[in-house]
Amino acid sequence: MAANNQELQNLVNYGLVKAHVAMGLIFFIIVALMGFLYSLQLDGIYPFPGIEFLSPGRVRMIHTAGAAYGFLVNMFTGLLYWAVPRFTGYKVLSDALGWFMFIALQAAVLITVVAILFLGMADNVEWGETPWWLDPIIVFWLLLHLLQFGAPLFKASQRGPLYVTGWYISAMLVWTPLVVFMGNLIPRFWAVGSGAGAVQSTFIHDLVGLYVTPVAWGLMYYFVPVIMKKPMWSHGLSLLGFWGLAFFYPMNGVHHFLWSPIPMFAQYSAVFATVAVEFAVTSVLINFMMTLRGSAEQLKYNVPLRYMYTGAIFYWITCFQCAFHVTLTFQKVIHFTDWVTGHAHLIMFGTFGLWVLGMAEYVWPRLFGKETMYSKGLSEGAYWLLMIGVLAMFFDLTAAGLVQGFDWIGLNPWIDSVNFSKPFWYFRSIAGIMMITGLFMYALNFYKTATAKAGLTAELREV
Amino acid sequence: MGKMERFSFVALVAGIIFFLFADFISWALPMFVLKDIKKKSVEDLAAEAIAKNTTAWSDFNKLARYYPESFKKLCEYTEAYSGASEVIKDCKPNEKTFAKALRIGHRWYIAEGCWNCHSQMVRPVSNETLRFGIPGVSNTVSYPSEFQNELQAPVLWGTKRVGPDLIREAAVHNIGWQVAHLYNPQSTSPGSNMPGYPWFFEKDKNGNIVPNERGLALLTYVMWLGSWEVKPPKPFRVETAEK
Repeated sequence: MAANNQELQNLVNYGLVKAHVAMGLIFFIIVALMGFLYSLQLDGIYPFPGIEFLSPGRVRMIHTAGAAYGFLVNMFTGLLYWAVPRFTGYKVLSDALGWFMFIALQAAVLITVVAILFLGMADNVEWGETPWWLDPIIVFWLLLHLLQFGAPLFKASQRGPLYVTGWYISAMLVWTPLVVFMGNLIPRFWAVGSGAGAVQSTFIHDLVGLYVTPVAWGLMYYFVPVIMKKPMWSHGLSLLGFWGLAFFYPMNGVHHFLWSPIPMFAQYSAVFATVAVEFAVTSVLINFMMTLRGSAEQLKYNVPLRYMYTGAIFYWITCFQCAFHVTLTFQKVIHFTDWVTGHAHLIMFGTFGLWVLGMAEYVWPRLFGKETMYSKGLSEGAYWLLMIGVLAMFFDLTAAGLVQGFDWIGLNPWIDSVNFSKPFWYFRSIAGIMMITGLFMYALNFYKTATAKAGLTAELREV
Repeated sequence: MGKMERFSFVALVAGIIFFLFADFISWALPMFVLKDIKKKSVEDLAAEAIAKNTTAWSDFNKLARYYPESFKKLCEYTEAYSGASEVIKDCKPNEKTFAKALRIGHRWYIAEGCWNCHSQMVRPVSNETLRFGIPGVSNTVSYPSEFQNELQAPVLWGTKRVGPDLIREAAVHNIGWQVAHLYNPQSTSPGSNMPGYPWFFEKDKNGNIVPNERGLALLTYVMWLGSWEVKPPKPFRVETAEK
């Protein structure tokens, strides 16, 4: 066992995992605070009015761009440094390259923050608000990312078929640089107007669908069987889920701009592809739920696993919702409303946020040679606050979206829709406080686990 | 099946072929359909506004007349990020200064995240033409050619409305309203939750609060939005600086 551990230590660079996960958590808290700050503007009680660099519009761009590059990229890269060498059996390309990429990523995020808040240099691509001169650097970073993780995957596939996680990560490594290049540079230098709109909508969706989703599902396929110590229920469903996602997901983008001047054939194809994706998603969910069968007891005391399954259920809710509201009929009412904001928070925070928190909570004590987190109470408290907080925000914003949508159709004075939304916006801020409190508890637990002197041991429990 | 589960197969088929196929359907074909619509540069837009004597041009002239000091500073203002890097010697309202104001206004419209709360697209559904148009003046839905210009690359349709749509703004409010609203939105729209933008204003030598060069540019840009749809130009709007 000791020899085995030593072998794994040589395989995985613990320092890189720790650094990325820690920075990811710090940025998670920062972007959550930025979102909270912006929500106070909607409530009409913004604490820093008239300060240029804390203008709510600028803060909102830090909330979205920071969530993408500061929080998610850091967290996912950290977890990939843990998972990829372990399931392929090969080290990543180079540790030195890893540290260079780590520093470069933090620098890119900090430059973005300075550029958006202080210099007013932003780009009007949602989720790509980074100034356009930074985008080629990000694409270059993603090419390094392809080499770094592509190397072990390539070596492993010389030996035999890759595990499911390997498919998702392989495809993601190729997609991400293409997506970032397409979304940020084509609408600025080649396309204009409706064509640019089609590219941008494809980008908004592809960054979720071809970066975040495949990494996250890839990691789920790795962590869930490892934690439950049993294989996935069906390999066939794994194949179906992956290839379904790979084929239909990239075609979804234009559904962000239905009823727009983009030619209708593109809008119809996006609606069709989106409904098709929900079938692929459902096959993945069936696979995970059947894997859980007989082991559901573990959800009671295994917090990381509970995070993962909660996120999986939220994922299915979001996708199920999407299959309906992507239709042109629903879009008449809910487009441009808070319904969409609720949808985005359920998927980004409720699913991917909870997943990476669960995975990080599984990995973190092991990185420090401990068996468990410092405090069970903090761990449980954080889970419930985050889960209830994001669910409350989702229901609240969904309802707010319907109120706004019907109010606008009714041709009432615009200010009515603002006044009617106020109670929902106040409630949203309260849900935000719950989520941020949860994140602070989670971070405190991380800090205490890392710095605890004595080795923390897990109690054995009768199941 | 084993071959399907290798790095090279996944990277080639899913990573590249599926991706390119989807991009072809989602945006390359739409771009091909739209390719015959002329792409206008900012200078083209300025020249067109002057030639048609739109409200945007008359509003720009008014701004130059009301705030001559800020207008002078706008001619001297250089800004690499928005591509307005030239000091304009001939500091009068003309095609060059108008184009520069549009460029800088557009740049700050993006930098302040205006597009996070204001869309620029009128959809053909949900009574939007009634809400955002003015009957008899401008009540059309958004159409591709009005976005086929440099100021819509990337496009500014937006995905969320907290405030109203702005693509027909020129027909809705006049310049005085816009100035007051940008400084303090609650002064013109009680109950609004839009923040004020005092850094687009400064005190002139008489102690009055006036838009500075950036504010002037931003106001020019906002008053330009939809000005091509205001037809025919109303008599009270067609006054130029030459008088």
